[in-house]
Amino acid sequence: MEGKIIVITSGKGGVGKTTATSSIGAALALEGKRVAIVDMDIGLRNLDVVMGLENRIVFNIVDVVNERCKISQAAIRDRRIENLFLIPASQSDNKDVLTTAGVERTCKQLRKEFDYIIMDSPAGIEKGFENSIVGANEAIVVCTPDVSAVRDADRVIGLLYSRSLTPKLVVNRIEPQRVERGEMLSHEDVMEVLSIDLMGLVPMDEQVLISSNTGKPLVLQNDSKAGQAFKRIARRLNGEADLPIEVPAHKTSVWSKISQTFKLK
Amino acid sequence: MLKDLIRKFTGQKNTKDTAKKRLQFSLIYDKLEVNDTTLTDLQEDIVAVISKYFEIDKDALELKVKRDDDTSALVFNTPILHVKRKPA
Ligand SMILES: Nc1ncnc2c1ncn2[C@@H]1O[C@H](COP(=O)(O)OP(=O)(O)O)[C@@H](O)[C@H]1O
Ligand SMILES: [Mg+2]
Repeated sequence: MEGKIIVITSGKGGVGKTTATSSIGAALALEGKRVAIVDMDIGLRNLDVVMGLENRIVFNIVDVVNERCKISQAAIRDRRIENLFLIPASQSDNKDVLTTAGVERTCKQLRKEFDYIIMDSPAGIEKGFENSIVGANEAIVVCTPDVSAVRDADRVIGLLYSRSLTPKLVVNRIEPQRVERGEMLSHEDVMEVLSIDLMGLVPMDEQVLISSNTGKPLVLQNDSKAGQAFKRIARRLNGEADLPIEVPAHKTSVWSKISQTFKLK
Repeated sequence: MLKDLIRKFTGQKNTKDTAKKRLQFSLIYDKLEVNDTTLTDLQEDIVAVISKYFEIDKDALELKVKRDDDTSALVFNTPILHVKRKPA
């Protein structure tokens, strides 16, 4: 059976695409799938450092697309999580190093070799974005609960629709306390504005920065709320579509405790 | 909680409600700008329907999206030259 290509995109930078890509990819591998994470942010390579694999790069995705090496030569095997591979971006800044046809051909090959291929897209809606969605079977749009991220998400959702992709939404960096205080858009607000289905909700979590400092997978950090949220997203992607979506809540908030106890919400 | 009450009494809005309203408006405008045949297509359709009943000045008409504090409105303005007689 052919594998599935899932692109993680957002329009805006800094909303958590790279974090989501590495975590969802790692979580899918933990579910027993053979996973390739592909860094499509050409010229701004990041996934390698976030995943702690920066010292092992030999070839990159541009080499693969331009047939300078085989997929197996460019794919770095993660030694901590079985069946997890990273194909890094190149650091070259030439925007035309990838042709659409070349990317499409590579995508076909990747689908033969992996169960899931998770593509980290660059910010923006230019050529790099196009290249990252051209072979995708599914799309996830990441946004944070702020006006600029939501607006950019809307633009990207429109572009994905025009390519016959129906994206699902991940709201990242939710701060339950601020949502409760009415100073941060709730996930319901964001869903309503974007009229899009939800794939998951990820809270603001200090562990995200800590795990990227050390290059350790967030999903192996058992006390990480964001890590847990990404694991649930992976399960939802991997056939458990009905797994309930957990709404991030503030632990010590009396109100949320009361409302949870009495099921007010 | 207390803040909620104060807000209710003073008629203050949550800043996130303001954010949501502003987003909803700007997304409408964004879409019209991106897919800018929407308004011209709509104009053609409206003219076709109105022309069944009225003779209108097609050069003087205007179709606009207007924004008030709380609502977004589609405004179609056209001078009527004649009312057409319906065939008996
Ligand atoms: N849920 C989260 N909680 C806390 N920090 C986060 C979270 N998600 C992302 N970050 C931080 O936000 C920054 C941008 O994230 P990144 O994944 O690189 O975004 P993008 O790839 O969209 O540019 C990083 O410093 C990352 O550690
Ligand atoms: Mg990134």
